[in-house]
Amino acid sequence: MINIQQAHKAFKGKPAVQNLTLQVEQGEILGLLGANGAGKSTTINMLLGFLKPDSGTISVLEKDINQSSKELRKHIGYIPENVNLYPYLSGLENLDYFCRLSGLKYTKSELQEFLNICGLPSEDHQQKVAEYSKGMRQKVGIAIAYAKKAKVYLLDEPASGLDPRASNELSVLLKKLASEGATILMASHDIFRVREVCHRIGILRKGELVKELRSEEVSANELEKIYLEYIQN
Amino acid sequence: MWQIIKNEWLYLRRTRMLVGLSIGFVMVFLFSIILGNYQNQKELKASETAKKHLREQWESIEAMNPHSAAHYGTYVFKPSNLLSSLDEGVSSVTGNMLRVEGHVQNEMVHSEASQMQAISRFGKLKSSLLLKFIVPLLLIFLAFNAVSSEKQSGRLKLLVLQGASPIRIVLAKTVAVWLYGVLLLALVVATYSLLNIQNLSGDTLFRSLMVFVSYALYYFIITGLTVFFSARWQNSTVALTSMLGIWMFWSVFLPSVLLSSVEKWHPLPSRNEFKAAMREDRSKGIDGHNPADERGKELEKEVMAEYGVDSLYKLPINYDGIRMQADEEYGNQVWDKHFGNMRTVFTQQKQSMQIAGLFNPFISLQNASMGFAATDNMHHQEFLLQVETYRREFIKILNDKHAYGGSKTGDWGWKANNEFYKSVPDFDYQPTALGAIFHHYLLDVGLLLLWFILTLSLLFYGTRKMQLV
Repeated sequence: MINIQQAHKAFKGKPAVQNLTLQVEQGEILGLLGANGAGKSTTINMLLGFLKPDSGTISVLEKDINQSSKELRKHIGYIPENVNLYPYLSGLENLDYFCRLSGLKYTKSELQEFLNICGLPSEDHQQKVAEYSKGMRQKVGIAIAYAKKAKVYLLDEPASGLDPRASNELSVLLKKLASEGATILMASHDIFRVREVCHRIGILRKGELVKELRSEEVSANELEKIYLEYIQN
Repeated sequence: MWQIIKNEWLYLRRTRMLVGLSIGFVMVFLFSIILGNYQNQKELKASETAKKHLREQWESIEAMNPHSAAHYGTYVFKPSNLLSSLDEGVSSVTGNMLRVEGHVQNEMVHSEASQMQAISRFGKLKSSLLLKFIVPLLLIFLAFNAVSSEKQSGRLKLLVLQGASPIRIVLAKTVAVWLYGVLLLALVVATYSLLNIQNLSGDTLFRSLMVFVSYALYYFIITGLTVFFSARWQNSTVALTSMLGIWMFWSVFLPSVLLSSVEKWHPLPSRNEFKAAMREDRSKGIDGHNPADERGKELEKEVMAEYGVDSLYKLPINYDGIRMQADEEYGNQVWDKHFGNMRTVFTQQKQSMQIAGLFNPFISLQNASMGFAATDNMHHQEFLLQVETYRREFIKILNDKHAYGGSKTGDWGWKANNEFYKSVPDFDYQPTALGAIFHHYLLDVGLLLLWFILTLSLLFYGTRKMQLV
């Protein structure tokens, strides 16, 4: 579902992603670990079609993102580190607005259902987003992607700054989405969360995928060791 | 696009500061409209009272020599129209009253014309001041972070991912803020119309519509450029600073520089120069109070030959009236020459100012606003022309009475009766219909349209490659 082949991207001559090759299958969650500037966000932006690779190919759902970006974006859900919604709208109104932008018109009860599925309690639906915590906004962000029936989810540091409970709820939700057939790529610093949620883990260093492993093959502590080893090298 | 516009309006409605600001604005607008309208009505009433009083005075002349009556003269008033309180244009410096009398013609070189630079009348609370200067500023403040805030918050990516193309976002944001300005504008025009509903005519409605269109185009230009800067630059402060710079350059600095330049390119003679030139030209002709004048002698011969007499005192008519009318007619030629020159200079100045709209749409707005409100210099000149036509008719009636009313040459004590003075028509100002002079403002409206298209193109093509990351 996600296929990156030999992608290369540089900014002002400085490489951000180098010879990156990776695949994520349907129903699979891939975690990309890396320090700041390792190329995680650049990879996600290339998958969203917001950045064009200097070389290599990037395809989502079997189609080249740069040739069919408009069509493919309908199937992609994106959850950034900070889901900045409109603070003067409620969670429900935000969800309704973003759905309508996609041409989707849901009833109030349908919208409430999406929010409930994504873990936002009913009593918070009508509250202004200005009063939401980061975790609550993340849930609305995921609901936006869920409501448009995204087949691919791209998450950029989604658990950053979340309290353990919210972070755990996010993990449960992502696993649920994957079990329903979604393809998920998640960039993160959080070794333990990635180890817990993802099926596979890739370590990025200076734009290169230096290590790929399956999460069931390693414990959290081993993963930390491997990660630090690669990062320090 | 409609969804984005709706959301922007929801933001305006739900942000307390903006709601407060809007209420404040509406209050100030309503205050300025009511005040302007009150002043307008007061002026109108005062001039009507004065006009009535003067006419009564004129009609109560029992018995007076027509020439004395010509010196007694009368006054004419330029009635203010419905829109003059919306944009008073040059009215505040030209005044609205003129004395009509024999020998003396109203002068085109009025000191007020040289004060046209008083374009920024910050001292007065006028709707036009708010519409021209303050509303554009408000639009800049509403639009400067319209796109940059979406970029900085990362929402722009979400919007694009949901299917909103960058151009759709930029256009929708522009339209949303622009509509805010248009709504304020509509409020002003509608309130004026409602307050004066009994005086509404087709011409006033046409003028109101054109005022509305001109301002609406200008607001789009201001809003569109602000949103464009907001989309092009990551930093909203840069967008705000750029637009404030443009606003100052367009509406404060450039108009003053242009007006000074235009007055230098096409200079008007000073009041003294103009009067001296008129006097010189007039002195070459018949002097109404000097029968020894050569031209006077020629006229004497002509008239005596016509009546077959050898002395002016044998004429069955009063030669003094003929001589004075001949003097008036010569004076009229002199006036026409100088007035014509002046009109040419005014036309050249107007054309230069209109062309300046190529570089500054505010100038086009200024020209259109004053023109459609019937308060620009062109309308003033049309008024002066009507007054002069009336003055000629008025003096001719008095001179003819002096000549053919029954008195003889040299009979300065002869008096015309009250019936005659009652029969002299009063000045009846016919406001210039916009349809008849609309072509004079085509360039201004055309340039505003050109700027509108340029802004639209800039939004379309300039933001196509807007950076989302």
